[in-house]
Amino acid sequence: MNDRSDLVDVGLTVNGEVVDLRIPCDETLLTVLRERLDLTGPKRGCNQGVCGACSVLLDGASVRSCLALAANCDGCSVVTVEGLTLPGVLSRVQRAMIEAGAVQCGFCTSGFVVALSALLQGNPHPGDAEIREALAGNICRCTGYMKILEAARRAAREPAHE
Amino acid sequence: MREEDGRRVDWANSVKLLRPVTIADAVAALSGEAEARCLAGGQTLVAMMNADLLRPSALVSLRHIEAMHGVSAQQDGAIRIGAMATHAEIAAFAGFRGGQRIIGAAARRIAHAPIRNAGTIGGSIAHGDPAADFPTALIAADAEISVAGPQGMRRIAAANFFLDFLQTALEASEVVVAIHIPPAPADARSHYEKLTRIDGDFAIVSAGVVLAEGADGRCSHARLVAGACGPTPIRSAAAEAWLVGSRLGAEDREAAAELLAAACNPIDDFRGSAAYRRKVLPRLITRAIEAAWGAVQ
Amino acid sequence: MNDGGAVGIGVARLDAADKVTGGARYVDDLKRAGMLHAAVATSPLAHARIRGYRIDAARAVSGVKAVLIGPDLPQNRVGNFIKDETTLAHGKVRYVGEPVAAVAATSLQAARLAAQLIELDYEELPSALSIESALAEEAPLIHEELASYVAVKPGKSRGNIVWDVLMAEGDVDSAWSKCDVIVEGEFRTQAQHHAYLEPNGVLADIDANGRLTIWSSCQSVFHVQQRVAEELGIPMSRVRALVPRVGGGFGGKHATNLQTIAAALALKTHRPVKLVLSRSQDFEMQRSRHPARLRMRTGAMRDGTIVARDTEVVLDGGAYADESPAVVSFAALMSRGPYLIPNVRCRGIAVYTNKLRAGAYRGFGNPQVTFAGESQIDELAGRLGMDPVELRLKNMMRAGDRWFGGQSVTRCRAAECLKAVAEAARAAPALPVRTGRKRAFGYAAATHICGMMGVGASVQLKADGTVALATGVVDIGQGSDTVLTQICAEALQLPIESVSFGSPDTDISPYNWKTAGSRITYMAGRAVAGAAGQVRDKILEHAAEMLECAPADLELRPGGRVGIVGVSGKEITFQMVAGRSLYRVGGPIIGTHSLVYDGERFDPKRATVEFSAFDNPGVYTFGALAVEVEVDTITGKVEVRRAWSAHDVGRAINPLSVEGQIQGAVVQGLGYALSEEMIWDDDGRLANPTLAEYALPGLADVPEEIVPIIVEDPEPTGPFGARGVGEIPLVGVAAAVANAVAAATAARIRQLPLTPERVLEAMAD
Repeated sequence: MNDRSDLVDVGLTVNGEVVDLRIPCDETLLTVLRERLDLTGPKRGCNQGVCGACSVLLDGASVRSCLALAANCDGCSVVTVEGLTLPGVLSRVQRAMIEAGAVQCGFCTSGFVVALSALLQGNPHPGDAEIREALAGNICRCTGYMKILEAARRAAREPAHE
Repeated sequence: MREEDGRRVDWANSVKLLRPVTIADAVAALSGEAEARCLAGGQTLVAMMNADLLRPSALVSLRHIEAMHGVSAQQDGAIRIGAMATHAEIAAFAGFRGGQRIIGAAARRIAHAPIRNAGTIGGSIAHGDPAADFPTALIAADAEISVAGPQGMRRIAAANFFLDFLQTALEASEVVVAIHIPPAPADARSHYEKLTRIDGDFAIVSAGVVLAEGADGRCSHARLVAGACGPTPIRSAAAEAWLVGSRLGAEDREAAAELLAAACNPIDDFRGSAAYRRKVLPRLITRAIEAAWGAVQ
Repeated sequence: MNDGGAVGIGVARLDAADKVTGGARYVDDLKRAGMLHAAVATSPLAHARIRGYRIDAARAVSGVKAVLIGPDLPQNRVGNFIKDETTLAHGKVRYVGEPVAAVAATSLQAARLAAQLIELDYEELPSALSIESALAEEAPLIHEELASYVAVKPGKSRGNIVWDVLMAEGDVDSAWSKCDVIVEGEFRTQAQHHAYLEPNGVLADIDANGRLTIWSSCQSVFHVQQRVAEELGIPMSRVRALVPRVGGGFGGKHATNLQTIAAALALKTHRPVKLVLSRSQDFEMQRSRHPARLRMRTGAMRDGTIVARDTEVVLDGGAYADESPAVVSFAALMSRGPYLIPNVRCRGIAVYTNKLRAGAYRGFGNPQVTFAGESQIDELAGRLGMDPVELRLKNMMRAGDRWFGGQSVTRCRAAECLKAVAEAARAAPALPVRTGRKRAFGYAAATHICGMMGVGASVQLKADGTVALATGVVDIGQGSDTVLTQICAEALQLPIESVSFGSPDTDISPYNWKTAGSRITYMAGRAVAGAAGQVRDKILEHAAEMLECAPADLELRPGGRVGIVGVSGKEITFQMVAGRSLYRVGGPIIGTHSLVYDGERFDPKRATVEFSAFDNPGVYTFGALAVEVEVDTITGKVEVRRAWSAHDVGRAINPLSVEGQIQGAVVQGLGYALSEEMIWDDDGRLANPTLAEYALPGLADVPEEIVPIIVEDPEPTGPFGARGVGEIPLVGVAAAVANAVAAATAARIRQLPLTPERVLEAMAD
């Protein structure tokens, strides 16, 4: 973290809670979430916006938190994978990922859960083409994607209220 | 650089964040800071900062400038796209007509959904990468780019906007405000063809085609643009002239493709060699022309 | 097996819930009070002598607490086979990206800035960036002191040759005269990067006694412990190594100098130090798959009997020997393939070049040699006018035959696997034809091994009758935590929830060599089954005394109970036995089992084997692949529409995990076959060290379906009959795709990856 860049007051809603920060303006949202708010669900796989392991919902849309400057997100709502998790309860997306065998090393998993949750929030029963488009931006090196797609289809079949 | 207790504290200028709410304020902010950069979607800028390739003295966030947002159809059928419109908004915009559809088609080929959710057309074209998708499509659609600077507003034809690799016609302290897609010809068809190594990658080569058919069944309008095979997208007036007035038979398509390919000057890079690009370009352009000509309205 | 047993069921991964909720902790998620951040300065030159260091500017950066350079560290050379590496470069740099210095600072940015400010005075040397230039007569010597390095065994190392192995059976040179058809060719394969999604990282902590505790993203805590101790010249008892969750490995996270760098900084500063590589540094600094040049010749008689195969495989090993000796030896061992070819020879050479070290990577030399071998089988089939599947089946090994080198193969379903994929492919409903595309099927047969080295396990009975399983096995995402728990549960007929799994910790876990070589289910599974078996025996002994009968009269029953065979009702629970053992008789019940793979060696009466880096890998496993490929005739782009991959895993302990391994390995193989390639410029700098530039297959690039076919012919020595499957599904992919492309277009391509450019060019020829 850069201790010398201009400090900026930023108000964010993170996982439903209002957070007020005073941070260097060139700090990424990923760094803020992981280092300042202890939300280590979003991962740093490349820091270049390619792998998707850092995915969060920004005002409801799946984005690369490593490419968002937190100071430029004043007033935004941020949801990380932790925010998609009710205590002790797994969402239909999370259950589907587990049951389909779509979780191996798990480093990409947070990102896929976020991306798939974003899709289902807007479109509760997407077809294959929509699933592929929503998830194509997340890289997995372990599963070969097959079971991730199965998990998505499984989740898409379930009733929307989980 | 400053020193505290005899030790270096700063290694470079610290970064400031400026948040103008009007275009004039944005221009003033850019003029007031050496090494200032516009912060639009950040998909290229922040990636470069993360890689230590760039360290601006100031970031001028365009987020709060209303006049730069939104995609809207005008009375005359033109489309106004604010510089801060995201690729996702543009991809989803249902108001494109005729040849304008190539803009939506190109937007849908940019990277992947999360990048499209944040990346903006203004940021993309200001970067000036010939392997990106919008530059080729904008030229094919005869777009104009309106730009604001210390000398006021001006409009630049897309064909004149991209000057060299990563170099645009933007002067110091100028900022893209909006992109205008003209309405004519309304019944034109278009196709954006992109060859990549893997899905979502920048193009190895690409081709943007807009064609219109006259009442006599002959081609009445043609725009042919090749991307990722020169320092800027390449347009060939000769190729277009060949097609106009023809019935777009196989020979005409191939001839036009060869003319456009001949105007290109591809380089070797890790996505492909110049030789491969030269070989595949005419064939890809031919395919794009076929697809555009057969495209359903 | 009993109903409701734990084996053979696709139970959910034990760690999956943590992973889907964002609760799983990887090394970069860990923090310690007072923690410093480290950064590494690396060489900008491919080959140079180090003449001096200038670190004052780095030291002056606010927040910097330590700067280390090569001379600050003990110069202990380490290496699996040839001890040729030091922690930081000393005296010389040998590749662009080689660590030359390290910094620890209070912030990551300060550390990275300071690292950038470190300057070395270099005297540049000519570099050798290719196999040919490394072997040329006037080639610059990359390791001038090679002859003085300690080598674990002799490997004919000399000049820039790391290792030189020869295997031969029969009489290859005379055999050609018996052949009616001979195919010959040179094959080239590229450097592939592991591209695990989690970059390499370490957190080294230090206590007031100066003892190190090292968390790292690694594939063996024991290797980390051993390497750190060896590099720093301290006893292993002064180093404790553990793992958090590991985000993929594939061979690229075997112990490296990173752990030692972090440890050395922790020792210097007396503070915890975290070192996590950026993605581009990980690309530039760590390991790749060996690029290879293969010259192969295969000959057959008119009726399709394959008579001879001669191979020369030269592996580009990069700047340090690492595991090159084993990789090239394994490539030689696999060069014959699963065929009864009586006259076979393979010469394998690994060379030093001025690029990052090539090391272990899923397949370990087998993908390279199988690309050549399985391509040539198809070429032979073409020349003979035979169906390529039939030609393979005609020559295929069967159980009881011997592998190249003489080891027995007691179980072999190679033919069944090939038939299974061929039938599945033919039976699959045809896909609609797409204009401008040519389509064909391609096949490959693959073999691999899964037995090697040593491992132990321990199982303890708890007071309530549940058990604690401890192994030193690192789960790198392939699911070993769960599979080993399943094996333990099954062996004791307990539900999975009754077995706790202890995370690897060198202080208390039984030794495991490493998670590599497809060996965990087979080797660690055996240890776990054995340890659980010991616990079972001790439980039965107690129960026998309690029930006043003989242990042989007793049986375990599901749910932690013991009863008399044939007598219902009268039962003792594990809890009762535990109570007895803990408070009255015998003491805590702990079962342990240790083994080292001790299989058949090569047979010197059958084969010449010279300078093989190992003599004792085993348990041959077999599989096959069919792919349906479409080639875009305009662009040369190859698309794999569908794939069928069959493997004899002996017994699928967790079928869902086996499927996941098959599909994941096939996709990694597709990346190898079609798009992935590390590219160096003329100065030896990696031109594409980012995920944007290195073309990994994404979700939109993979086949519509990859059908895993599990064949089960139980392995007599395996836990519940299981064999390994981690690597084999990758091995044949490149060949199957190249064979399909050749079938579709008549273009035979002998270079990987099959980029659109290469395919288009080959089609034009």
